[in-house]
Amino acid sequence: MTQKQLRIKINGDTYLMYEGQSVLEACRSAGINIPNLCYLEGVSRRASCGICVVEIEGARTLVRSCVTPIREGIEIFTNTGRVRKARHTNIKLLLANHPRNCLECDKNRQCELQKLSDDLDVRDTSYPKIRKKHYDIDASSPSLTRDHEKCILCARCVEVCSQVQSVDAIEIAERGMEAHVSTFFNKGLDASECVNCGQCLLVCPTGALMAKHETGSVWKAIDEPGRHVVVQAAPAIRAAIGEEFGFEAGMPLTGTLAAALRKMGFDRVFDTQFTADLTIIEEGNELISRIKNKGVLPLITSCSPGWIRFAETFFPKLLPNLSTCKSPQQMFGTLAKTYYAEKMNIDPSKITVVSVMPCTAKKFEARRPEMNSAAEYWRNKGRRLPGGTRDVDSVITTRELADMIRESGIDFARLTGEKFDEPFGISTGAGTIFGATGGVMEAALRTAYAELTGKSLKDLNLKAVRGMGGVREASVDINGLTLKVAVAHGLKNAREVMEQVSKGKSPYHFIEIMTCPGGCIGGGGQPVPATTDVREKRIKAVYSEDESMPLRESHKNPAVIALYDEFLKEPLSGVSHSMLHTEYSRRDLYPGI
Amino acid sequence: MKAALKKEIDGIIKSYDGTHGSLLGILEEIQKRNPHNYLPEKTLAYTAKKTGIPPAKVYGVVTFYSFFSLIPQGKHCISICRGTACHTKGSRKLLDYLRSSFEFEGDTGGDAKLFITTKDRYLTVRTVACFGQCALAPVIEVDGKIYGSVTVEELKKILKKLKGSRQ
Repeated sequence: MTQKQLRIKINGDTYLMYEGQSVLEACRSAGINIPNLCYLEGVSRRASCGICVVEIEGARTLVRSCVTPIREGIEIFTNTGRVRKARHTNIKLLLANHPRNCLECDKNRQCELQKLSDDLDVRDTSYPKIRKKHYDIDASSPSLTRDHEKCILCARCVEVCSQVQSVDAIEIAERGMEAHVSTFFNKGLDASECVNCGQCLLVCPTGALMAKHETGSVWKAIDEPGRHVVVQAAPAIRAAIGEEFGFEAGMPLTGTLAAALRKMGFDRVFDTQFTADLTIIEEGNELISRIKNKGVLPLITSCSPGWIRFAETFFPKLLPNLSTCKSPQQMFGTLAKTYYAEKMNIDPSKITVVSVMPCTAKKFEARRPEMNSAAEYWRNKGRRLPGGTRDVDSVITTRELADMIRESGIDFARLTGEKFDEPFGISTGAGTIFGATGGVMEAALRTAYAELTGKSLKDLNLKAVRGMGGVREASVDINGLTLKVAVAHGLKNAREVMEQVSKGKSPYHFIEIMTCPGGCIGGGGQPVPATTDVREKRIKAVYSEDESMPLRESHKNPAVIALYDEFLKEPLSGVSHSMLHTEYSRRDLYPGI
Repeated sequence: MKAALKKEIDGIIKSYDGTHGSLLGILEEIQKRNPHNYLPEKTLAYTAKKTGIPPAKVYGVVTFYSFFSLIPQGKHCISICRGTACHTKGSRKLLDYLRSSFEFEGDTGGDAKLFITTKDRYLTVRTVACFGQCALAPVIEVDGKIYGSVTVEELKKILKKLKGSRQ
């Protein structure tokens, strides 16, 4: 399809642009930046912030460039006195209702409103505050906090929650001076449809939406004498942490990450990729067993805690389709306080497990009441761990880790690469690709193929399940069985796939679902900005890391093999079930209706 | 939630037959049929479920339009215009008269976005910014009917005519 081209003028220069583009998009592709605080490419154009105004020849008033389409011969002016003055006024109006205590704000130095005020040289805020209603900070969620006072009502969060995730937990309620972002009846986020994915806070231009902080408890554990603090880093961290320290997006920094964690003072530096490999063994066997024994199909992956909460809320009838495997984070926590404690002869009550995750929902996952298998394990052995013991004690995001590295005075860019510790630091390329959409599927297929045929896939690169397409499908021939699989990322795409399953029309054996666009590399705990371009670069980093690994199939991981020999015995064994598997429960948000 | 109420809501939703943009009409009817002329939380949650419109969006719509109420209203409802024209023509006096004649619950004074109801839920009084009928100032609305050029004397007559009047 050829798109019609239009001849337009921007600031006196002539350009050829495509019909259907907005003035803002046309200016951007001509290399002219138009500031804005509410527009989100492909997701939102609410035109609420009023910052992107430009002058159009012949137009009586200034227009908002995000919602004005270009037309043949249009003459646009982006840098006139009138434009500058209007932008100043509009940003001052936003600041009138915004707190000025930037130093006390988590978003300090990363706030778009703060940066834009500085860029536009707005120093004084001469307008009085007109917003009258005060709302308390909503800290009900284990993952996120909402502070209405800092909200500028751009509604990016509302649009992402709806358009990208189809969760629709929030909407603008009331109007005028009383307007605010609200859940149903202004309940706390934790009592709403919110799945804790944090895609909203990635796009929030202010500190109105923030991830819950846990750095304090991590430092406390590290500083406590006699405490054995182990850290696990998720696959997606190494593909993005560099962005916090001035590296280009897409630079895998595995060795640097391990070195930084060690310098911070963790006693053992482990890799969640180890339990990602383990997940593949358990989940791969679960798939084979369900196919052989005519169990519930399609089997759907369960690593992504936002997706789990989504399924519990919106598709409770399909919970039997979910793999019973815990996520790699939780498998790690359980094993660290059982197998590892026994093997290394460490008192399990002295072990603190810290996770570094690209994800805000992992904070929620670690607090799920059933995630305390280690305590259960020791209770069965006649040993009581302190009350409230959880398998994973603290979960910090990539951003929190970067804060801690800076606080430690570590010069991240100059670190020499180091290795993760044994035994839980040993992993394969299959574990690495867990961080990208399609990665769990690809890792599972590599192992399932080997399990059923006794030999490895000729080409380990299963390109059919890679990419950024919302829903991707593939078939793999294994010994006469045509295994049909699908991959979805972003919950709107997941909903589409689930509705098909709901109607009994799903042709697949196995479905991978990741909550966030691009998979974990695009998680709510990752560095900002997380544009599609940045997400694609991080995915590239993940696959290049996979190709550089000597082992690329989970079942070849020697530490995993040893774990089965010494502790678990075999996949899906009794021990495996009590340690590595879990169950789900429906979430009835509106009981009695 | 009672089965009868669910059935009633089902019927209302069905009468709109999934027409796009029908939420306003549906909510209006549901509120009208509520004995206290309001939209309880469970009713809205049920409506959201049945229409497939996310609960937060339903809440956004309900709180946007001042017509909808989330708290029980009195048997009768009087809206008093507090726009500039009505104010200069004495709408404050009408409000003062109502306040002196009835005992309202939770009346914290003032007259912007007022929404007060008597203890026995006989009467709700609210203020609106403007009816757009300034030529008839001062304007009030009583149980959906508009009255223009209202004086305190006339208001007394209107109150007397209300069903179950105690004036």
